[in-house]
Amino acid sequence: MAADLAGRRYRTWYAMLLRLYPRPFRERFGEGMAQTFRDLCREHSDTGRGLFGLALWIFAETVVGIVRENITRMNQLPKTILRVALVSLGLLMAPLVASRVVNDWNWNAGAFVRVYLLFFVTGMLYAAIAKKMRTWAYKAGVGMALVAGFALGWSTMVQTADSGHPERLWYLSVLVVGFIGACLARLKAPGLAVTLFAMAAVLALISVVLPSGAPSDMALRMAIGHGVFVALFTASGLLFRHASLAALR
Amino acid sequence: MAKKNRVEAPLTPAVLHILLALSTGERHGYGIMKQVEADSQGKVKMGPGTLYGSMGRMMEAGLIRESDKRVDPEMDDERRIYYKLTGMGRSALEAELRRYRGVVAVAEGRLVYGR
Repeated sequence: MAADLAGRRYRTWYAMLLRLYPRPFRERFGEGMAQTFRDLCREHSDTGRGLFGLALWIFAETVVGIVRENITRMNQLPKTILRVALVSLGLLMAPLVASRVVNDWNWNAGAFVRVYLLFFVTGMLYAAIAKKMRTWAYKAGVGMALVAGFALGWSTMVQTADSGHPERLWYLSVLVVGFIGACLARLKAPGLAVTLFAMAAVLALISVVLPSGAPSDMALRMAIGHGVFVALFTASGLLFRHASLAALR
Repeated sequence: MAKKNRVEAPLTPAVLHILLALSTGERHGYGIMKQVEADSQGKVKMGPGTLYGSMGRMMEAGLIRESDKRVDPEMDDERRIYYKLTGMGRSALEAELRRYRGVVAVAEGRLVYGR
């Protein structure tokens, strides 16, 4: 009875200790580690040995592991930042070259800096979110949602500036829905699936309700563009749904 | 530690023991721990911190991967994540064992001939 009580107490403390691991590590191995600790406690109890020595050894050994994993994680961060910064620089080459080739593409230095920051923030968002889960579907879903969101935001800003139709800023509400949904879902796959489906639905609704005010050939191109975005958001939602189902298996 | 697609010997003792434990089949964390203890005749005792830390790095290096989550028929009714060797993991283990054989051959030659 006393051993059971001590075992329960040690398991509770061990679960608290595991919280000190970096989140990605904890989410990946926390459950397995807690299970292994339970197995070791049971093995010791079954052979009539006390748990104090075992708990002391495991706790000390785990603390060393916690320090090591946190140091490893801290060392990885500058690498991620550098990688994202370089990729963003590579992507910036596209508008930079285009501004030299395409007529009427006259961005000033400030515009390039803003675009670079957009690329960088999007890249860091991807790196931060994709680390949360290791399933390919989740990572692909995050990538697709960010690319589609980025492209929608970008094209909305450009078209609003070019056409002088401020009502087109309504399209940005799709991104607002995405942001709020992602926060409410706390980046968990099931919630993100619902969020992406909602974004697709909101975009489809705005496309139908909001008059484009464009000539018919332009309106057709816009409708095709909206269809592509709706398909991308829906596909991203399906990927998150796949990831959430995979996690249940 | 080996990098993905590039297996470099020597491996750390923990990594070698985990590879050895998984060489005969899929195991969960506690199963690996017990197999390591048995393989080393009780000389190597690995705690969860070392075990899962090493496994994390091995998974990143592509040496092992998760298999599935199922109940161990010899234990309780809890579902456990099983781990298995990858092709790269098996190659790394074989390369490490070849290296050990080479070291042992040199050492034995020196002991016998005093070179």
